[in-house]
Amino acid sequence: MFSIYKKDLQSFFFTPFAYIVTALFLFLFTFYFNGSIGDQSQATYFFSFANVFYNVIIMFIFLIPILTMRTFADERKFGTEVLLMTSPLNVVQIIIGKYLANITVFLFMLASSLFFPIFTAIKGEVVMSQLICAYLGFFLWGAMYIAIGQLISSFTESSILAAIIGEIVMFVFLFIDDFAMTKFIAQYPAIQSAVYAFAAQPRFAYFSQGFIRLSDIVFFISAIIVCLVWNYISIEKRRWNRG
Amino acid sequence: MITIENLTKYYGNNRAVNNISFTINDNEILGFLGPNGAGKSTTMNMIAGFLPMTAGKVTICGSDISKEPVKAKKNLGYLPEIPPVYPDMRVREYLSFCAGLKRIPVTKKSSEIKRVMELLKITDVKDKLIKNLSKGYKQRVGFAQALLGNPKFLILDEPTVGLDPKQVTEVRNIIKDLKKDHSVIFSSHILSEVSAVCDRVVIINKGDIKAIDTIENLEKQTGGSLILHIIIKGSRAVAADIIETADGVKEITKINVEGDDTYEFIAQLEGDGDAIKNDIMMKLLKNNIQISEIFTEKPDLEAVFVKLINSKPEKSGILELFDEYIKENPDAEGSADETDTAEKEDNE
Repeated sequence: MFSIYKKDLQSFFFTPFAYIVTALFLFLFTFYFNGSIGDQSQATYFFSFANVFYNVIIMFIFLIPILTMRTFADERKFGTEVLLMTSPLNVVQIIIGKYLANITVFLFMLASSLFFPIFTAIKGEVVMSQLICAYLGFFLWGAMYIAIGQLISSFTESSILAAIIGEIVMFVFLFIDDFAMTKFIAQYPAIQSAVYAFAAQPRFAYFSQGFIRLSDIVFFISAIIVCLVWNYISIEKRRWNRG
Repeated sequence: MITIENLTKYYGNNRAVNNISFTINDNEILGFLGPNGAGKSTTMNMIAGFLPMTAGKVTICGSDISKEPVKAKKNLGYLPEIPPVYPDMRVREYLSFCAGLKRIPVTKKSSEIKRVMELLKITDVKDKLIKNLSKGYKQRVGFAQALLGNPKFLILDEPTVGLDPKQVTEVRNIIKDLKKDHSVIFSSHILSEVSAVCDRVVIINKGDIKAIDTIENLEKQTGGSLILHIIIKGSRAVAADIIETADGVKEITKINVEGDDTYEFIAQLEGDGDAIKNDIMMKLLKNNIQISEIFTEKPDLEAVFVKLINSKPEKSGILELFDEYIKENPDAEGSADETDTAEKEDNE
């Protein structure tokens, strides 16, 4: 498991890949950060990191699939899947090793964004409890999206296709709460509550306000587990169906 | 020892491998021979635990590959048809990764990598990116990967494809050397290669085993007979008569006209080749027929191969009836197969 984790990390960090993704992330973060902190058009000055995170999350749709698209698609393309499958490892270890590598790159992205709150804290004041909760929520949401992206990467041999499908799926998940709130769906309360249960945004809202609720943590962690188990099934299924 | 029992693989309704059984003994090189699409790679993928089998069992050193995969795979080194290399890695880096996959202890890692690199002569490219290597080098890097950790069994799927003649000889010599403390299963569609390297051969076509035997026994299988070539100058009719009536000549298979009054006779012999040859020579000379060339040769192994591949599988009447039934009712087979895979998915 550790060797797969190490190899995947190398493929991120020994190439410009991780740095470019992180740079893009920071660029977008700066974009919203500057826009938000410098905004004095309102009557009362209002700035919070949670709001910046809210805006940055939309960028997840583009960044995370790029991060995860190669996870399994490239293994298939280069025929190295055979190597992993015939080595004395089980599939669970392969999936977890790869997931942890993706998470590590994501943490690297998050860690580099700490630059902004640190500077703000030096020059002004930051509500720490809110910031920490927002980071936690941000991390969990990202971890869930990585699990989804990794799952989609195991469906196909083409990494580009994995990225595009991933973007679509993540887009749906990001705006599913807006969809649930439309008047059309509101006619059917049962459907509305069922659809709303999949929404991550209201759960992130609690984190950004400084609440850590067990139900929200359980939501994200169970979503991650479901995706990883599905990932396992999809890999095993392909072995059985090959031909 | 690897035991393969009643191994069967269906791809949908296509039967790729049909109920094959054989064993690989310790310190043996087993050739796996068959034309393209015979089911060689499928069988090897199943032995290596990459593809699940539809039915049957593969046991490696007492552990079943589908029940105790991790334990069984520890004794295996596998080189698939396409070497499983990462184009963006350097050779040494790649081998180090593979050593980690095979759980080679950190202390032994670098010496082990050095050993396989020297064995396959890839030390001079160790810092190159794999994508910049030629096909032959990629193949050797893949081979090195299979040798890491000194596994007891090696499964090599067409290891010499894409190599130049010099490299082919080198790889063959490596395989021969491996025999000392490994068992090797080695597939090829080139007969001469198999006969140069292997102790035993399994000949397979369209998923059926056509023969499992040593090379010598296979050579004998064409009736165990020698082939006699005689080139004579003189009367064709007389010579034909003498050769045909001589003791030990089974039949004249061919008469070639070489020139004025010069003919080549090719005949199949039975029994002691030298005695027959002398007998025929004497008789021909007595009848004033000049002999310009006479020699016997072993039957061509290629011929054995072609004959075996074209031979019909030996089946009991019931099996044949079953096959006919399946041909007439393809649905019956398909539905049976689907429930089979569905069951296996459920099990997971």
